[in-house]
Amino acid sequence: MITKVTVCIVAAAAALCAQGGGRGAAGVGHTPPPTSPVTGNAASGKPLYYSYGCYACHGYNGETGARAFVGNWGNLAAEDRFISFLRGRVNVAPVTPATSMPNFAESTLSDKQAKDIYAYIRTFRSTAPELKDIPTLNAIVDAAKAEK
Amino acid sequence: MAKSQKSPVGRRGFLKSAAAGAAALATTEITTAPIAEAQRENSSTGLPAPTQEQVARETGNVRPPATARLITRPGSDLMVQTIKNLGIEFAAANPGSSFEGLQESFINYGNPPNQMPEWITALHEESAVTMAHGYAKAEGKPMLAVLHGTIGIQHAAMSIYQAYYDRVPVLMIAGNDADFIPAHTAHDMAGMVRSYTKWDAEPKTIDEALAAIQRAYNEAITPPMAPTLVVLSSEVQKDNAPNTKIPAYKPPQFVTVDSTHAKEIAKGLVEAQNPRIAVGRLRTPEGVKRAIELAEIVGASTSTAATNGPMSFPQSHPLCGPGADTAYDYTLGLETGGAQASITGPSLAKIVSARDHDDIGFGGLTGNSTFGGGRAGRGGGRGNPSAPPIEADAEASLPLIIEEVKLQMTADRKTRIQERIVKHTRANHDARVEALAKAVDAKRAGWNGSPISTARIYAELWPLIMNEDWCLASPSNFSGGHNTQLWEHNKPYSYLGGQGAGGMGYGAPASVGAALAARGRNRIVVNVQTDGDLNYAPGVLWTAVHHKLPMLTVMHNNRAWHQEFMFVEYMAGVRGRGEDRAYIGNTLRDPNIDYVKMAAGYGMAGEGPISDPTKLAAALKRGVSAAKRGEPFMIDVITQPR
Repeated sequence: MITKVTVCIVAAAAALCAQGGGRGAAGVGHTPPPTSPVTGNAASGKPLYYSYGCYACHGYNGETGARAFVGNWGNLAAEDRFISFLRGRVNVAPVTPATSMPNFAESTLSDKQAKDIYAYIRTFRSTAPELKDIPTLNAIVDAAKAEK
Repeated sequence: MAKSQKSPVGRRGFLKSAAAGAAALATTEITTAPIAEAQRENSSTGLPAPTQEQVARETGNVRPPATARLITRPGSDLMVQTIKNLGIEFAAANPGSSFEGLQESFINYGNPPNQMPEWITALHEESAVTMAHGYAKAEGKPMLAVLHGTIGIQHAAMSIYQAYYDRVPVLMIAGNDADFIPAHTAHDMAGMVRSYTKWDAEPKTIDEALAAIQRAYNEAITPPMAPTLVVLSSEVQKDNAPNTKIPAYKPPQFVTVDSTHAKEIAKGLVEAQNPRIAVGRLRTPEGVKRAIELAEIVGASTSTAATNGPMSFPQSHPLCGPGADTAYDYTLGLETGGAQASITGPSLAKIVSARDHDDIGFGGLTGNSTFGGGRAGRGGGRGNPSAPPIEADAEASLPLIIEEVKLQMTADRKTRIQERIVKHTRANHDARVEALAKAVDAKRAGWNGSPISTARIYAELWPLIMNEDWCLASPSNFSGGHNTQLWEHNKPYSYLGGQGAGGMGYGAPASVGAALAARGRNRIVVNVQTDGDLNYAPGVLWTAVHHKLPMLTVMHNNRAWHQEFMFVEYMAGVRGRGEDRAYIGNTLRDPNIDYVKMAAGYGMAGEGPISDPTKLAAALKRGVSAAKRGEPFMIDVITQPR
């Protein structure tokens, strides 16, 4: 049974992109992918991204959901910053589910696992075509323009 | 009621004899032995023996029993006629042994029979009531749900609760057969749901029953609108009523603003340089018409609640939007807040104390919200201070205000208003296009991703339905709410909004109810169906097929109760115990559910699962075409979580 409906869209949505300027706003970010070093293993990170539920708030590709981060990299700009963000949640997370990202303690997600997840995340790229290449979306705007 | 009128073949004795007959039939070819046995048993009571038809009914033949009493005009015929007179189009029910009298009248009485209302086969009482919930939101009037005894009422309880919170009128009748299965009866049947219904009655005579049905209808449609329940004993349904007359129906009186308020509001709107009307959720399509009329004659820009639910101002109306100037000097709120005047009907708080005798205290009904009841206050006054509400029905008050506006209108003012309308029209059009352009740009995110983005579902659907008469009956909050940004909600029923109380098991049955409304009106219903929600009572898909409803179901199949997944994940993080087990109890995988096969089992055509976004549009096109033909269709789409 669903509860807490009023917070359904934003609640518990993780904030990987908290400082990225796109917090809470689904959309296409324009920040280029980070170029900082990656030390983890993306192949190992892929199942972890899934089993630790990252996809739940960030989508399977990091492009959708309440906290899309592709193009709004923020705390994902560098590996150490990402890990600090994961661990830092322990002091700020309120007990009642709210709009913040879960805390990922080292005892439950090791640094190695976190780095692997980070490596996998870094493989994400925007699949968003240019608007001119999506006739469906153009047709929607054109129809509105044509209304009198 | 007079027991002397009771059928000479009581149900208990009848069943007892029939059981013996069934035993005989189980081991031998059909003979007259069961009848003879039944006759022997009844001979000791002095009652006439059951007929062959009576015994056959309880041994598997559906033919109803013939009774010895002479029924020239069943009371249930009058009940059905009363319901017909109220304009009820549909009666949904799961079969029950406490209302066969009523059901028989529904399907056989009238010329032609089984029309207005038409009997709709529900596979669960919760579905029956939620159908009525969806129908009422689409049409602004009740349909009937018929429930069987204590068990039917309790099956329906959750959906009654949702309709109550949503302030939706639903007319319910529960059958009560005191002579049959004891567990199916109670001395106060309605007591189980009294705290979340508006009114109930258990009439003892046919005359009382007819009056109760009329009153239940009136109570349901009078603010605060809510479900009402009439308990009808099976004997009253079967009574003979040769001389009973249906009482003359008196429509309810709606509380309106008084003439002083009407004059003041009219003056405010007419004299303002830049008036605004904030439109919340009105009662019926007629109210929407009146709101449009008022906005047009005073040249007010309007806000709408049409992206939150039904019965509000059309989103693409030239006056809908911020207007050319957002410095409004007079704002009227209709079922929502307005800076200078707010007309709002009574909230559920008004009836709670009279109904919640056990002080259950359901949340949110007696809070501090000025526009209580959980649905108003979202129409455009939010964030701005509102005038103290005038407790009256906005819809019923509109004719008085319009009349006053016309009296106070001058030629000069008309000219100024026309100039203002031209400016608003241009500004609102530009604002809509700008907002839409921004929205579609955002929807590009994940456009080609797999699983498919929820935005793409709504974006691909819109061009296929924008020129149709359509209704989005499912809540869109769990699937991204993209309709609110991409679609134009211009009819009172364009979007039916949320569940009412946030309970699951709503989308499909509410869509079926909306599709009942749509079927005869050349309208199609879209149901973007979350997977967890469908699994409560999926049998309603069969109802859609059986009754040939124009309904397209697009599965938002994220294989989870996703909200709870995120909550548990968060809590595991707070407690430092790891998020990797948060899926337990919150996911619908291992095995994955095949919704197209599920639909096929109920006779519904479908496609999928589709996870390749390039295949989505063509499937949706086929689905819309099928719905337009009155062939409900399902497309299973494997989606991103949100």
